[in-house]
Parts: sequence; C-alpha cells; structure tokens
Amino acid sequence: MNWKIFGRESTANSSQQQRSFGFLLRFVILLVAFYFIVAWKPINDHVIVPFTTGIAAVSGTALRAIGEPAVVAGTEIKSGTFGVNIENGCNGVETALLLAAAVLAFPAGWRQRLVGFLLGFAAIQVLNLIRVVSLVWIGRHRPALFDSSHTVIWQSAVVLFGVLLFLFWASRQTRRPATSPEEKAGR
Amino acid sequence: MLDRGAVIRLVAGFLLALGFWFLFSGTYEAAVAPAAEVLIRLGESPAMTRLEAPGKEFLLKRADFPPGAKQPGLPSPDLHFNFVLLAALFALHRRPWRTDRVVKLLLAMLCLYAVHVVFLVFEVESLYSTRFGDWSAAHYGRFARNFWAGGFHFYQIAGRFAAPFAIWWLFGRDDPVQASEQVRGPRKRKKRRSP
Repeated sequence: MNWKIFGRESTANSSQQQRSFGFLLRFVILLVAFYFIVAWKPINDHVIVPFTTGIAAVSGTALRAIGEPAVVAGTEIKSGTFGVNIENGCNGVETALLLAAAVLAFPAGWRQRLVGFLLGFAAIQVLNLIRVVSLVWIGRHRPALFDSSHTVIWQSAVVLFGVLLFLFWASRQTRRPATSPEEKAGR
Repeated sequence: MLDRGAVIRLVAGFLLALGFWFLFSGTYEAAVAPAAEVLIRLGESPAMTRLEAPGKEFLLKRADFPPGAKQPGLPSPDLHFNFVLLAALFALHRRPWRTDRVVKLLLAMLCLYAVHVVFLVFEVESLYSTRFGDWSAAHYGRFARNFWAGGFHFYQIAGRFAAPFAIWWLFGRDDPVQASEQVRGPRKRKKRRSP
C-alpha cells in the first residue's frame, strides 16, 4: 500500500467532509435566522403581507387573462364559488428562504451570491405564480384534486425547483476556473 | 450533477415517490404516532395523551377529556409529505438503485422519520399550550408556549422543506466537483508536440 497516497486521500476526504458539515451548519444557522426575521411581526406585517397581496393581485390578473372570473381582496382570490387565501407557505417565500440560506452558506463571491439569489428568487416567483393560478383553476373546476395538488404536488415541486436552482448555481461556482493570481498560483 | 439525465431522473423519482407516498402514508402514520405518543407521555405526569392515526390525520385523545368531548385532529400530510422531496433528491444520482445508494436512502428515511416524530410532538404540545384557554395558561408558561408553538411554526414555514435537503446533503449528495468530473470523464493529458 502506498501510505503517502493513502494519507493524502484520507486528508482530502476529511477536509471534504469538514466543508460539507460546515456548509450544513451555516445553512441551518442562516435558515433559523431568516425564519426569525420573516416571522417577526413588523416584518410580516410590512413586508410579507404586502408582498403576498402583490402575488394575489398578479395571480388575479393572470386568472382573468385566461377567462376565470377572479376577484382579489387583499391576499384572497375568489373565482366563482371557490376562494383561496394565500398564506405564508404559499407565497414562495419559504423556498426563497431555503435558497438564500443555501447560497449564503456556499463558498462563493458576494457578487455571485447576489446574482444567484436574485435570479433564483425571480424564477421561484414565476413558478409560484403558475402554482397559484393553477390551484385556483383546479379548485374551481376539479375540487376533488385540490387538497393533494395544494399540499403535496405543488409544494414539493416549488421546493425541488428551488433546490435544483441552488445545485445548478453551486455547480457553476465549482466549475469556474481560477482567475485571481492567488488562485492561479494555487494558494 | 445537473445534466439533462439528472433532471429526468429527478422527475421520475418524484412521481414514483408520490405514488409510494399516496399508497403507504396511512401505514407510515401508524408508525409515527406511537413513537410521538411515547415522547409526549414522558413529559406528562400522569401520562394522559393517546395518539391515533386513522388516516389523513392524527387524532388526539386524552384520558382527562370530558366524555363526549370532540377529539382534536391534526392534519397528517403536512407533516410527512416531504418524504417525496427526499426520495426525488436521491433519484438525482446516476445509479440510484445501487446497493450503497439504497442503504443511504434507507438511513436518510430513518432520519426523516425521527424528524417527523419530533415535530409531531411539537405540533401536539403547540396545540396544548395555545388552544385550550385557561387549561393552556395553567399548564404552560410564556417560554413553553413560545418554544412549542415557535418550533412547530418553524417546521411549517422552513423546517419541513429544509429537512429533506439537509438530510440528502448529509447522506446522498455527490461532491459537485467529483460529480462534474464523472460527467466529463477523466482528464486526458495533452501530448506536447515537439517543435
């Protein structure tokens, strides 16, 4: 056995494990911190609720564009006899929190983090808009399918999309060639 | 890690997991409820709580509820649908059926089971501490109310989505650098041409 190589591999593995645990620890700490910020009443009342109201308004416009008689009041959307209230957990903020925590926990430059998060946030909101519009449509036309679509299918799909966005972004960070003189020198 | 095949595997894994979840969620709930019940009763003197899983909800039965009183039901899919996320993430791997991957998936599922049991305890205690008026105020202080209700709210907003990701990161993820090298194949050294 080549002890020198074995030693080098085991050192590389353990440093890889340390980085992995480090990422996970930072991710959990950031997620809890972001949760406290979002759950804090002034932030919830002055940022999250108006943002959710905006989602409801845009969704109402999209629903009317496809011929649904949607009426929006605050965070509530009514279409015919069916109505939904967009609450926390349905506004894409939870997936955005995950993305923000993961992007910040991952070793990358601040500019890459900012661009990654902003593009990811926009993409998540587009998918969430499709989710809200489709759920209102399902609730009105296929009410038997609403519960499973709402709880399991769409929630999982939006979160998986957020995770995929993060993995795509993270893989681009690891593939980026060394550009700075220090990186080129392998320091 | 994220080639077109990976996305197809993720979607296929998601659909398979969804089918599995719809078929076996009732059986799974029957395994989560007793474990949570044991933990809740550990903190009670005398032990009063009984949890049943008749399907789609956890029924909370207390021995000291008045006869004929309505038994609170806690919706169960919200607690454990994140199994679908975990299984879909494991399907990202190029060969998810390999024995070592299946073992890792089983270990990850065991971790997620522990998460479900713990947060079912949080859900029940959150109900006890905030929804029973004077009884809640008499049995739970301000810190306890915030601890149980805040813990369960964290799970609802962020934890239930973060748990499968964190568990997958720990057990099932390929290192992004290694994975990208697997996709590209081993590097070949360019031969130097003599001038």
